[in-house]
Amino acid sequence: MKVAPHDAPEALELTGIRKVFFPGTANEVVALDGIDLQVPAGQFVSIIGSNGSGKSTLLNAVAGTFPVTSGRIVLGDRDVTRQPDYVRSRSIGRVFQDPRAGTAPDMTIEENLALALLRTKRSGLGMGVTNRRRAVMREQLARLGMGLEGRLKAGVAKLSGGQRQAMSLLMATIAEPSLLLLDEHTAALDPKVAATIMELTAEIVTERHLTTLMVTHNMELALRFGDRLIMMHAGRIVLDLSHDQKQALQVPDLIEKFHEVAGEAFAVDRLLLDT
Amino acid sequence: MQVIIQSALLQGLVYSFMVLGVFITFRVLDFPDLTVDGSLPLGAAVTAAMIAGGHSPLLATLTGVVAGLCAGFVTGFLHLLLKGGESDATNYGPKLLAGILTMTALYTVNLRIMGRSNVPLLGVQVIFDKIGALFSISMFGWNLIIALAVLALAVKYLLDWLLHTEFGLCLQATGDNESMIRAMGTNTNVTRIVGLGLANALVALSGSLVAQQQGFADVGMGIGTIVAGLAGVIMGEVLFGVRSVSWVLFSVIGGSIVYRLLIAVSLRLGIAPTDLKLLTAVLVVVALSVPTVRKKVIHS
Repeated sequence: MKVAPHDAPEALELTGIRKVFFPGTANEVVALDGIDLQVPAGQFVSIIGSNGSGKSTLLNAVAGTFPVTSGRIVLGDRDVTRQPDYVRSRSIGRVFQDPRAGTAPDMTIEENLALALLRTKRSGLGMGVTNRRRAVMREQLARLGMGLEGRLKAGVAKLSGGQRQAMSLLMATIAEPSLLLLDEHTAALDPKVAATIMELTAEIVTERHLTTLMVTHNMELALRFGDRLIMMHAGRIVLDLSHDQKQALQVPDLIEKFHEVAGEAFAVDRLLLDT
Repeated sequence: MQVIIQSALLQGLVYSFMVLGVFITFRVLDFPDLTVDGSLPLGAAVTAAMIAGGHSPLLATLTGVVAGLCAGFVTGFLHLLLKGGESDATNYGPKLLAGILTMTALYTVNLRIMGRSNVPLLGVQVIFDKIGALFSISMFGWNLIIALAVLALAVKYLLDWLLHTEFGLCLQATGDNESMIRAMGTNTNVTRIVGLGLANALVALSGSLVAQQQGFADVGMGIGTIVAGLAGVIMGEVLFGVRSVSWVLFSVIGGSIVYRLLIAVSLRLGIAPTDLKLLTAVLVVVALSVPTVRKKVIHS
């Protein structure tokens, strides 16, 4: 029996994605305004942009949190545009900004990880936590270097924010996903813990060649990590840099680029972009 | 005194299945389900009507349980309909309304099933007589209490097993962090409906056994079930602790017995039976505020 299924990373193709919230009302918002994006299998893409630029909405659209207004989302060879979120979840791993979002607090570490191992299969009436699964969990938890492998029966509510986010990252990747979505997953952590989680993320993504979209506010992170950098503004992709192009850039250059494309919004946004 | 303890054990055990059902909805699914006020008399009505109609008590009990299962499914579907696209787990409005609608509809259903407001079960064989006949013992007093305790333990271990299966973990996570478990590929609409069905099947089992034990089914016997159920759950948790799922299942059975003990003592002290609902409500408030007050005292 294969405990962790090894799905190969898959390519993601977005064509003409539009998302309009509250259409036809005074509150109408065009959150995504025609996004075309091809991400080859195994590519790690960093996405930056100010508040309201649509970067988180883009991740939610890919994950199926809500239906898109128009456009097509193709993952590997499957058109997933109309698939409900829980069906897409079988091939997509996600980590959210809030460390509490990725784990069930009243359940134990081993129960949470068992759920993560079950992501790609239908759950039945076999025991959720088996010794075979425990072995996989211990091995994976040991990599976090937080001593969690010896605390399988501890409640997740007792863990620190950093530990919970490390768990979330592990849970998103333990049953290898075709696509990994990271939504500002280090933003709510203190700097030292954030750095640890980011190193861990890079390690896992590189080692397994996961197709990854990482949304971040932090330009330095976006420059340091990933094979490609995308900048969003007002629901559009306004800048798309390859690995080599972004290697040549520093944070001030990126701010300059942002200034060029975002124009008048810059003065406000400067405060929102951490450097 | 022995009479009081016997009566409390009997009532506590016969209602413990209902308390376990309330525990599943209220605690595991985080779904305050008011269906139980209707599904308890539903189990009683179906069983009483069938036994009065000459069917075997075992079949009558099982049919009552299945009826409760269906009532839970109905609440689940209504909730799905009422919540629309809303996926906010902390939105209790649709959950409460779904239960209220099913409970209200069940009042009519129960009357229709029984054909009148009260069906007596006197001079007929009930499930306890059948079980007694199997072991050639009479099903009164301690014998009945032991039989019910065995059944309660069997149900407890069955639930314990179920909640730790793959499906059970998904069920627990549905109430604990719904968006997380959806991100793990589980359709929480399905787990919630199944959980509600399971819980109301247990509540209906309680109703069926209560009717057979007291010798009648009455259309009004479900009033206040949710509050009595909550009293059992909360008193069990406060008195016996919540260290694990397996343990808390024992705790709520204990809570059910303690609650009935308090009721029996109150009656003995001369409190009018009609005042019991108020007393129960006060008990729930007191038990609910114990953790808060304890925290306040420690921090002050």
